Amino acid sequence: MTPSLPKLVQAGPPEVLHVLLDGRVVGSIASDIVEKAVIHLRRLKVSATFAIPEDLEVGYIPLSMGGAYPGLYLFTSASRFVRPVQNILIPPEESNNIEFIGPFEQVYMEISCPDGGDGGRKDVFPATHEEIHPTGILSVVANLTPWSDHNQSPRNMYQCQMGKQTMGFSCQALNSRADQKLYHLQTPQTPIVRTKAYEKYNIDEYPLGTNAIVAVLAYSGYDMEDAMVLNKSSVDRGMCRGYVYQTETIDLTEQNIRSDRSQRSFGRSNLDKSSHHLIDADGLPYVGQRISPNDPYCSIYNEITSKVTTNKLKASEPVYVDYVAVDVKNKKHIQKANIRFRHPRNPIIGDKFSSRHGQKGVCSQLWPDTDMPFSGVTGMRPDLIINPHAFPSRMTIAMLLESIAAKGGALHGNFVDATPFSSSMKKKESESESSSLVDELGSMLVARGFNYHGVEVLYSGVYGTELTCEIFIGPVYYQRLRHMVSDKFQVRSTGTVDQVTRQPIKGRKRGGGIRFGEMERDSLLAHGASYLLHDRLHTSSDHHIADVCSLCGSLLTTTLIQSHKKAVREMIGRDLPPGRAPKKVACVACQTSKGMETVAMPYVFRYLAAELAAMNIKMTLQLSNGAGA
Amino acid sequence: MEGASYQRFPKIKVRTVRDDFMKFELRETDPSIANALRRVMISEVPTIAIDLVEIEVNSSVLNDEFIAHRLGLIPLTSERAMGMRFSRDCDACDGDGQCEYCSVEFHLRAKCINDQTLDVTSKDLYSSDHTVVPVDFTDSSSGFDNSENRGIIIVKLRRGQELILRAIARKGIGKDHAKWSPAATVTFMYEPEIYINEELMETLTLEEKKEFVESSPTKVFDINPHTQQVYVHDAEAYTYDDEVLKKAEAMGKPGLVEIHAKEDSFIFTVETTGAIKASQLFLNAIEVLKQKLDAVRLSADTVEADEQFGELGAHMRGG
Repeated sequence: MTPSLPKLVQAGPPEVLHVLLDGRVVGSIASDIVEKAVIHLRRLKVSATFAIPEDLEVGYIPLSMGGAYPGLYLFTSASRFVRPVQNILIPPEESNNIEFIGPFEQVYMEISCPDGGDGGRKDVFPATHEEIHPTGILSVVANLTPWSDHNQSPRNMYQCQMGKQTMGFSCQALNSRADQKLYHLQTPQTPIVRTKAYEKYNIDEYPLGTNAIVAVLAYSGYDMEDAMVLNKSSVDRGMCRGYVYQTETIDLTEQNIRSDRSQRSFGRSNLDKSSHHLIDADGLPYVGQRISPNDPYCSIYNEITSKVTTNKLKASEPVYVDYVAVDVKNKKHIQKANIRFRHPRNPIIGDKFSSRHGQKGVCSQLWPDTDMPFSGVTGMRPDLIINPHAFPSRMTIAMLLESIAAKGGALHGNFVDATPFSSSMKKKESESESSSLVDELGSMLVARGFNYHGVEVLYSGVYGTELTCEIFIGPVYYQRLRHMVSDKFQVRSTGTVDQVTRQPIKGRKRGGGIRFGEMERDSLLAHGASYLLHDRLHTSSDHHIADVCSLCGSLLTTTLIQSHKKAVREMIGRDLPPGRAPKKVACVACQTSKGMETVAMPYVFRYLAAELAAMNIKMTLQLSNGAGA
Repeated sequence: MEGASYQRFPKIKVRTVRDDFMKFELRETDPSIANALRRVMISEVPTIAIDLVEIEVNSSVLNDEFIAHRLGLIPLTSERAMGMRFSRDCDACDGDGQCEYCSVEFHLRAKCINDQTLDVTSKDLYSSDHTVVPVDFTDSSSGFDNSENRGIIIVKLRRGQELILRAIARKGIGKDHAKWSPAATVTFMYEPEIYINEELMETLTLEEKKEFVESSPTKVFDINPHTQQVYVHDAEAYTYDDEVLKKAEAMGKPGLVEIHAKEDSFIFTVETTGAIKASQLFLNAIEVLKQKLDAVRLSADTVEADEQFGELGAHMRGG
């Protein structure tokens, strides 16, 4: 048997490798010197004296079985990602050894982590580069979590999510911004316990929380299930106060095009002075004015119909006018205005808070200061109480460390560095330092006469007696999250109903209800609460009394007969009590008012009958008298 | 309810009194009384604080509510507060807080006209009543240079920025809002009784004694350098942290020291915001407590007597 293909000679390793610069072939290099060349190139790259740019990407792809096509790929173009690592082939005393590497070359490089280990590296491929610090694997957000190496990993992930939802100090030029919605903390603080990255990224310019004195104890029962009790006096004094800045843009040109070129401009009515205390002569609100829900905040004058329309505030709480900006392109008739409102948002029950360790909680009470437990020595009352059950299953040890460290830091008047993995870096420098982190923090407390473990004897604020346990208490940096009840609460007693089904409408903004769905129905059925179920789904929803013709069984063919007696009744005398006039109904199909019955039913049922009738399906009701059927 | 009388006659011994600080012993009474005093001092002794702010011009960097909040937290001298009326039950006015019985008016007018940042402080507030003014923290007895101290900063103004406002201060209590609380800190501790078992202590070596003494983070015990005996250096430094007891246990000498809390003797520490003197705060607290007890006694007779308490009704109903 002869092979169908000619026998191919296995090619040996290539003698030369292609060299490409920014995607163009510029030549070739002998494969036995390429590695030396790469090392030399990297040396030239970091030294300032040569013309080789320091962000040059030296992508050397070595020959491999089934791997990428070998070659030396160099890149110098602009806007490539680069990151700094140490080139350990260059001794630091010789020259700068920080090299910028790119994503292409990184995969073919041997970069070790400076944690003291070799990362399972084989001797044939020794590390050529080293990370500057182990925190290089962390993002900006993850880098802000103190001692994240002491936390359970999912908790760090939760914190990375929540760090982006904080109500912080998001911008410095608040006064000249027109964001749709902007959350702003009134009095933020710098954390006592912070990582090196916090300073590196200048987060102090944009702080996002408050150092709150946190006591970990079950007190009052209002701290169960991740609820937390806030000290009312602390809130009174301004803890976690914030604002929501919201900008409304009113563009009249946009509306004018739609409504047939009618000329409109800002202006108020001189006849109707009812809103003059809110709106100035230019049709725009006064800056600093407080506006309640449904009050007008700007008025628009239509020059053709000479009618004045007002824009009303759609909010659930009073707001303040923070800033009014107008577009003066058209100087005579101002067509565009930005009105910025300020919603004061003091912490209230239902607002969300979180520490920097994925420990979020909801404020359940603003507890009076006097009822809070207090320390007999310092007289301190906690700002915040959280439940000890928040710790065992979540294993956020760093939060406990933070509390101890912040307490020590506050007592000594300095910040505490909480960079993760710093202990692995330390070992390399001085082998002698053997004391653990806890020892370091604990001795800080003992030096100031506090308990080594950060616990204190507290007294009940209500009874004045010593609490049975020593309480873990200390400052923890707490963030206020932007999920607030005032944006979320939904309540309805009666209100608008749907036109078609006569059931309550949905939607929080329109004052709708919350759906009582199938699962809720099942639950009530399982409890045997059928009367309640009837009340929810029928009486409080689309209860309807329909007239049904018992002769033809139709509920659509009934019609109201105009009562001719009405006029007569009125003539007879007004002294008669306005008795409930019996409704006269008749069936149009049967041409009689005999056999008309009233039946209570959900209105949707009638709607169903109408929909079926539209499809030429007749629905017939057979009426019977209760159990006698 | 005839029979045993539980009446006790508490004694007070004042240790230190300064304007804004006081330390005293309260003896021969129950924790309930001590705690009641603490609670009343923090949240029910009335003071005067700015409660209404009318802002005319505000071109500063802080918004109106922020400034109003900061003004509210400035402590005002409140010696008059006990004699004043709450504006809500003032007969002389409609409760708009502009009469002499229930309110004090303040004016603030500041504009920065040069390139130097202007600090608007509590000293810029002009009071209509010279007895109710922002607390002056300049302590003439201290050796510091007082020319720097210009009161509590309200806001800083840059060139061209202006702040004009009118504020009305009213009487209130800390229960309503922390700004009316005259107390910075009020705390008490049970007086500890420490007995050293000298016999057992003598079985320790000097090294062990030192270890024992240093086991407490606060300096409760010390060693006499001559006799090498452990003695109680400062019993009140003991924080009930049980550290020394644990140490004794760990050294295999339980019962080395015995520490008890005296159930009927308390050491109070009172610090005020400066609104009233610490000594006055304590006296006022007793006065308020007496009024509250009177109210309870009266309501025991007639349940419907709630209306007649007037000012006390507020205390009873919780502000």
